[in-house]
Amino acid sequence: MQSATRGLVEIDHVAIDFPGKDGPTRALTSTALRLEPGTFTAIIGPSGCGKSTLMNAVGGFLAPSEGQIRVDGRPVAGPDPEVGVIFQQYALFPWFTALGNVKFALRRLGLPRRELEARARAALAEVGLAGQERKYPGQLSGGMKQRVAIARTFAAGPKALLMDEPFGALDAQTRSRMHELLTQVWRAHRATVLFITHDVDEALVLADRIHVMSPAPGRIVETLDLDQPRPRSAARFDEVQLAARARILDLLRGEPERLAA
Amino acid sequence: MAVVEMMTDRRPPSAAGAPRAGIAARLPAIGRSLAGPLRPAISLGFVLAIWAGVSASGSVNETLFPAPWTVVEAFGEMAAQGVLMKDLSVSLGRAAVGFLIGATLGVAVGLATGRTKLFQILLGPFLTLMRPIPAIALVPVAIVWFGIGEGSKHFVIAYTVFLTVWFNTHHGMQYVPEIYIRASRSLGASRLREFGLVVIPAAAPHIVAGLRLGVALALLSLVAAELTGASSGIGYRLQEARQYVRTDRMFALLIVLGLVGAVVDQIVHRISRRLVHWEQA
Repeated sequence: MQSATRGLVEIDHVAIDFPGKDGPTRALTSTALRLEPGTFTAIIGPSGCGKSTLMNAVGGFLAPSEGQIRVDGRPVAGPDPEVGVIFQQYALFPWFTALGNVKFALRRLGLPRRELEARARAALAEVGLAGQERKYPGQLSGGMKQRVAIARTFAAGPKALLMDEPFGALDAQTRSRMHELLTQVWRAHRATVLFITHDVDEALVLADRIHVMSPAPGRIVETLDLDQPRPRSAARFDEVQLAARARILDLLRGEPERLAA
Repeated sequence: MAVVEMMTDRRPPSAAGAPRAGIAARLPAIGRSLAGPLRPAISLGFVLAIWAGVSASGSVNETLFPAPWTVVEAFGEMAAQGVLMKDLSVSLGRAAVGFLIGATLGVAVGLATGRTKLFQILLGPFLTLMRPIPAIALVPVAIVWFGIGEGSKHFVIAYTVFLTVWFNTHHGMQYVPEIYIRASRSLGASRLREFGLVVIPAAAPHIVAGLRLGVALALLSLVAAELTGASSGIGYRLQEARQYVRTDRMFALLIVLGLVGAVVDQIVHRISRRLVHWEQA
């Protein structure tokens, strides 16, 4: 078992500017967050609030203008297999089969061929795709593609996992099944998750902690903690969750001119 | 490619079964019933009927515009003499050698200029300026450089193929979706693995399209290369027919060129669809 002492993500007073015609625009005001190892943090906010910008910085795709991001004390200097990423557009390689996509992630471990194959198959079985190994992404539905992406990312053994609206393109039914699956896989691997969404119920079903963001400039306006046992269902929220939902919706609605995209 | 589909898990996976959006699909019922392998035959039959009609009417000079049956005779004559097969094999051999040289260099240089800033700056604009020069304009230079032997033919063909293959490869490499690079790097792939397993496959549809164009251009520039200073080949035979005012032979040779081009293109098309099977364009 991987111990939960790995995967401390520190976002240490990070601010991000984008260059513009009239000088730089601040996309994210100085933000300090500490994601405890093995926790599930959701960030919710309207588009343009800087939530994806923050995620791209943690993923190493974008250098912060100020501050520093550290994973287990080590500064993030670029994309790294310790920080796995699951994209909304799946980002599967269409020229590889489902199995080939998972193998790609395992390759850096330098395993013998047999073990590589066995571990890739096991990873696909874990997300319920046993028997689909030889299919190409083009032959899979959106939900199945995202399952392959989840298997692929966890196969690389990340300490932290970033998910940028990963289920945004799926229908409601598939999405709730993906929530169950993600909860299950995440509990087995215990990576620290940073999950970006604009769906309040999704955040309430998945997260231990929810940060609500507001745009122009992007900043965190409120933080809510949840300790309801998992698996959770949006159909059976308790009073705390319902209150949290009302509060978040108020926040998102409350400042229309400042929260609009 | 990166089409985000909204499908449920329960939907049976279907990929190749996407509806065909060809011309046939848009035509009314009569047009659709004629779809399929018969179509080219119908079109050719139609043109052939008009051609035969015009010839039979006697309103055109038979020497300048031969009748279909005269062309068939000329074809039979050349086939019987053995020149047709010989010319065809010589010509295809030249096209193949020129294509291989040009395509290899084109892919290699395209991979370099498409992903390396230095090569792009050094070579990109120069190669772009070279592209409008037609193959036939190079023939005099090629003859001075390589004589009237095989070298000049290979050069002209290779040059034409090279520029097209380079251009397509270069562009394919430039437009590799950023998300694949991000995915690859966050999965811990080395730059070498990223290049071989991500960048090249992502650019492959463009590269393959360039190679297919290259094959077509090899056959086109072949004739330009053979029109002067050759002693065999389809282009040479055309030139010879001109000297004897044998329009029937010219027509036969032109038809052979057209058929060879169409067949080769179909073969290349099938191969390329297998090579980039994930690209369902």
